[in-house]
Amino acid sequence: MTKLMNHVEFRTALEDAIKGKSANKAPFSIAWASGKLSRAHLARWAENHYHYVGPFADYLGYIYARMPHRYLEAKDFLLSNMYEEEIGGDRHTDLLIRFAKACGTTAERVKDPENMSATTRGLQSWCYAVAMREDPIVAVAGLVVGLESQVPSIYRRQTPTLREKYGFTDEEVEFFDLHIVSDEIHGERGYQIVLAHADTVELQQRCLKICEIGAQMRLLYTTALYHDYVANEIPLAELSLIEKSVPQAESQLLQA
Amino acid sequence: MPTVVLHRNGQTYSDEVKENTNLVVRAGIRQFPYPNFLYGCGMGKCGKCTSLIIKGGEHLPAPNWKEKKQLGAKIDLGYRLACQLWLTHDVELSQDNPPPP
Repeated sequence: MTKLMNHVEFRTALEDAIKGKSANKAPFSIAWASGKLSRAHLARWAENHYHYVGPFADYLGYIYARMPHRYLEAKDFLLSNMYEEEIGGDRHTDLLIRFAKACGTTAERVKDPENMSATTRGLQSWCYAVAMREDPIVAVAGLVVGLESQVPSIYRRQTPTLREKYGFTDEEVEFFDLHIVSDEIHGERGYQIVLAHADTVELQQRCLKICEIGAQMRLLYTTALYHDYVANEIPLAELSLIEKSVPQAESQLLQA
Repeated sequence: MPTVVLHRNGQTYSDEVKENTNLVVRAGIRQFPYPNFLYGCGMGKCGKCTSLIIKGGEHLPAPNWKEKKQLGAKIDLGYRLACQLWLTHDVELSQDNPPPP
């Protein structure tokens, strides 16, 4: 029978759930890490990514409204996270648009929801559904621990790749740079909230399940980017050869 | 583990931190040097975490483009943006001596 885990056990279980069970590497990530993508491919990524991460403060707003007042510190964290996403410094989506423009697309195209794929629409809808319908602690586990906390380690590796293999300037890739600090804070605070308040076996299991589903959703999203925008130009067979030469950590880029 | 010595408001605070620690991240997650460390946006824009490096500056990475843009000639006076620094060695820093305008 499943028992209540202590904080150390629960954190380890959350980290394992986030990694996901799939052994599949997303081909889009392999192509990105190896420098095979064109700027047009990266533009399509930016046009989709905007609709996944752009509403992040909206997702958090729904959780904030439903978070019980007795968890005041958790509410304050959500409010502060929303503020930092939108008006604490540069608006994060403005920096994503700056990168998108460097890839050759426009702000209008990035903001236009017609330019996201059906799968991205599915990921965005899942984020909204989690924020609106799940227990608020489970929702923090899904969106902050499961998704947001993964960003720093991914972007820390991704930023040098964008500079060195794709030739972007420091300012063009600032979107990736800033997340290293802010998402590290947000992710860790998310862990603190979930560890403190998921205090029943049922809540802990729901938190683990939603992190596992989040990992599946990330992989689904990234895999679809390859099939929708890249497959016609870079066949899977070509990427399979590359994958053997790409360090495992790098090939997992973009799975968040 | 690196030891961090912080001077702020006339007081001295000191503790060990894990290698590759960023003091703004630490303060953001409510660990030392919280609540005695001044910081803001965490993205090298607001300059609130500007700190005078007293000791250990030789072990810090070279100033990045954000620090050059935000601090300019103040870098030569020993100032750095803590939000841009990942610590691997002991460091002593002060937020009691704001840089000249």
